[in-house]
Amino acid sequence: MKTKTAVVLFLLCSLGIWAQEQKMSASEVANFKATVEKESRNIKSLKTDFIQYKHLDFLSKDIETSGKMAFKAPNLLNWQYTKPYQYSIVFKNNKVYINDQGNKSTVDAKSKMFEKINKLIVGSVSGNMFDDKEFDISYYKAKDAYIAKLTPKTATIKKYIKEVDLYFPVNEGTVSQVKLIEPSGDFTRIVFKNKQINAKIDDSAFTN
Amino acid sequence: MQKLTIRLLLISGFLALCFSCKPYQIKDAVRKEDPVKEFKNSYFSNPETDYVYKAHITVYGNSLGGVFIAKRMNDSIHRVVFTTEFGNKLLDFELSENSFKINYILEDLNRKIIVNTLRDDFRLLLKVHHPVEEVLENQDATIYKTTDGKQFNYFFVSRKNNQLLKLVNASKTKEKVIFGFESKNSSFADKIIISHQHIKLKIELNQINN
Repeated sequence: MKTKTAVVLFLLCSLGIWAQEQKMSASEVANFKATVEKESRNIKSLKTDFIQYKHLDFLSKDIETSGKMAFKAPNLLNWQYTKPYQYSIVFKNNKVYINDQGNKSTVDAKSKMFEKINKLIVGSVSGNMFDDKEFDISYYKAKDAYIAKLTPKTATIKKYIKEVDLYFPVNEGTVSQVKLIEPSGDFTRIVFKNKQINAKIDDSAFTN
Repeated sequence: MQKLTIRLLLISGFLALCFSCKPYQIKDAVRKEDPVKEFKNSYFSNPETDYVYKAHITVYGNSLGGVFIAKRMNDSIHRVVFTTEFGNKLLDFELSENSFKINYILEDLNRKIIVNTLRDDFRLLLKVHHPVEEVLENQDATIYKTTDGKQFNYFFVSRKNNQLLKLVNASKTKEKVIFGFESKNSSFADKIIISHQHIKLKIELNQINN
């Protein structure tokens, strides 16, 4: 009997959680997309700190790494981990520069894959991923954020990613949190903090 | 006189034979008459601990970074995951002394030689209890020798502070893989270097405070 009550309670609670996330109506979606697209069109540069949480079900604690990223239109990008180790990856002039704790390497970035990674990172932060041919997108609203859930269309991406959730705080046109869910259910959650849009960024910020 | 020459020739020939296929031996080590039955490697033994390391792999001149994660799931099984810095999984293994399961592996890495090499390295690195065949001793270390099929493992434990410093995996005649450990205490390795002697593969692991 006790178990039954527990199960019912659990179901009610989970329903409650689901109820907090509602599907947006067609007009809400149109409005939301227009806001985000307008905002991201105006992005000439973007600077933000981030905390990354790697969740693996079998671990007792998520693995926390943090750092900062800088982006300058059209295609300069520096994604840098500063804690607990130094690792940075810079996209510049069709090349990818990696500095792994002092070990430097360069990869030619003309390949489609790096183009996609660049687009995914910039798109994840700016939020402009809606015309992407790679994903099906559904839109939800929660108490204090809008959520765009992207599910990959192609078998190639489906192997790596089950779903990408982008969280947009209400009244903001850019992303505050990204969650990349793997087919196994393990996920990587990246939270952005101290975001600055169109602040002046020197080109030297894109060397490592 | 002739007899002596022949005898000398025979002896030197025998010695030459001996030295040319000299069995793998540790310099200056003498056998210790100590009835130790088991060696316990504590570095990955606590089921409560998430073991997380920044990894750096060099293989035939190419280098690759990532994060190495290990956890003891129960008495015999360890889970090992290797991800990129961004968090995406490259491989996810579950292994014990005699079982091996691939939960996930990136297609590009799914080559028999890669899988088998990593499986064997991780298996030896993570295994906790090792039945000891022989105990040796040199100036700095007590050496526990164990047998694994046709291979032998030598665990070098510091005589000064009782910490595992080195693990050598060898065939009858040659060193195959050397594991070096740096540790502030004997229960946790801060730094691990796995160097292969036959292939150009080196794995360096530095612990991340999580």
